[in-house]
Amino acid sequence: MLEVSNLTKRFGGVIAVNEVSFEVEKGEIIGLIGPNGAGKSTLVNLISGFYLPDSGKIRFLGEDITKKKMHERAKMGIARTFQNPRLISNMTAIMNVMYAVLGSERGSKLSLVEAYGEAAYYLDIFDMLKKRDVLVADLPIYELRLLELARALALKPKILLIDEAMAGLNPAEAERVSKLINRIREEFDLTIIWIEHVLKIIMRSVERILVMHYGKLIADDTPEKVVRMPEVVEAYIGEEVV
Amino acid sequence: MSILKLEPRRGRMIIHAFGRKYDWIIEPRYWRNPIIGVITLLALPLLMYFFATGVFGIRPVALLSALIFANILAMIGTPLVLQIIGTGRVSFGPHFFVAVGGYTAALLSKNYGFSPALTLPASFFMGALIGLGLSPITIISRGIYFVLITLLLPFILWELTYWRSDVFGAETGIPGVPLLIFTGDVVLDIMIYYYVSIAMVLILLFFTDRVMRSRYGFMMGVINEDEEVALSYGIDVAKIKVITFTLTSGAIAVAGWFLAHYQGSFTGPVWLQPSFLILILLTTTLGGKGAVYGVIASAYFIATLREVTRTQFGEMSVVVLFIILLILLYILPEGFWGLYRKRRYREYVPSIRIRRA
Repeated sequence: MLEVSNLTKRFGGVIAVNEVSFEVEKGEIIGLIGPNGAGKSTLVNLISGFYLPDSGKIRFLGEDITKKKMHERAKMGIARTFQNPRLISNMTAIMNVMYAVLGSERGSKLSLVEAYGEAAYYLDIFDMLKKRDVLVADLPIYELRLLELARALALKPKILLIDEAMAGLNPAEAERVSKLINRIREEFDLTIIWIEHVLKIIMRSVERILVMHYGKLIADDTPEKVVRMPEVVEAYIGEEVV
Repeated sequence: MSILKLEPRRGRMIIHAFGRKYDWIIEPRYWRNPIIGVITLLALPLLMYFFATGVFGIRPVALLSALIFANILAMIGTPLVLQIIGTGRVSFGPHFFVAVGGYTAALLSKNYGFSPALTLPASFFMGALIGLGLSPITIISRGIYFVLITLLLPFILWELTYWRSDVFGAETGIPGVPLLIFTGDVVLDIMIYYYVSIAMVLILLFFTDRVMRSRYGFMMGVINEDEEVALSYGIDVAKIKVITFTLTSGAIAVAGWFLAHYQGSFTGPVWLQPSFLILILLTTTLGGKGAVYGVIASAYFIATLREVTRTQFGEMSVVVLFIILLILLYILPEGFWGLYRKRRYREYVPSIRIRRA
């Protein structure tokens, strides 16, 4: 479904993503881990089109999307969430989902009222329907995370890029979000690339883990094998988790 | 059984008539306020003409001229609000497009004998064409760069009017533009001009309101708030910006067309002045962020205040006017529309009751 080959992105003298290559099959759920500054978010930004790479290629559903614009990739079915929730704070919860419905491939055929109805459906999946008319500025971080997921799902994505959905959540909330991500993956037949720092959750939620360090991909294997790789332990995980 | 049965409910009226049921929403934003607004605007010149004579020493004709000036500000301010929302940028060159429309109307009338009916679409298309050519600036520039680019445009045109004074007439302008209305009665003429200008404002308001309530208006609102989020969620930001800037530039140019045919001449250096730009920007800002109806209110307020200060403060009138407007900007950061919204808050998108199956 997604093929990333020799992807490189530089910011001045810093190589944020260095010759990264990997493939993602349809229906996979992949964890992307690494220390701060490893290049995880930059990689997600490159796939979603937020940045254009300096070199390398990205293919999605057999098509070269390396030069495609961000909104074209979104219409093709690449949705993302942000590390710090980026929602429109002076719009209500449902309005924040509505524009994703309207921006989706089928959105051009929908009226505002139809988009409203569809947005309500996605809010309901995350048990947020009762908060539909609440301004985003008034929502707590847990609900902002859920709203980001609902908005991403409203784009009817084929692949979902989740950038640290657990940041700022307490363990119980993180657990609920993790279950919801697994539920939507099954219900909507999604492929997911999930950046996460909460290792206990990511290790048991994903089938495969990519580990980045200083912009390079240093491991690509099952969670069980990855946690035993000496270079991963040294770079990121640390002995106490192993 | 009666033929007609009225069932009043909160915010709506259900009417049973001839075996049919009509659900009439009477929430103000759907019909009542616009109707009241339109009636007020239509009645205002007559009321002022008959009752305001002598108030603050303003003559009725001067008052009607002030109201026409308010309509000109509203004609510029209404599409400008749409442009600000749809491009996410505040243009400092709306008066450039006023001058484009005015010169187009004046030059075509004088040199080629075009009638006002022909110069109207020509002014719109010229404004839209130049807007289309300049529209990439809404994509590639932002912040101070966008401000400087848009601020330079009127200055370039200003210099051009002097450099090619044989064409543009510099400060004497282009005289001999056919008047839109001429009955021989000054008061009647000015009254008709008022109604023509208010009709133009209402037409602009109607289209702007339709756009704002459409899916495109909604997407423009997202662009205004966060372009990157809009792009991430499939909104073609560049396309919407280009279309918005092009069409609103054309609409602003129509104000120039009106000025040329209202005054019988068009003098660019008068309308390309920074003080006119400030009045336009104050109209949109005092109206309230993204508030189309607020622009009409602030245009009327500013034009009336300008007339009152002119008669009361003489040479100091401009200083007094801007000091009053400055104080208002300070005490009304959300503009006139902010006052209204605080009292009668309504969501932008209609709230629909969700029933679970």
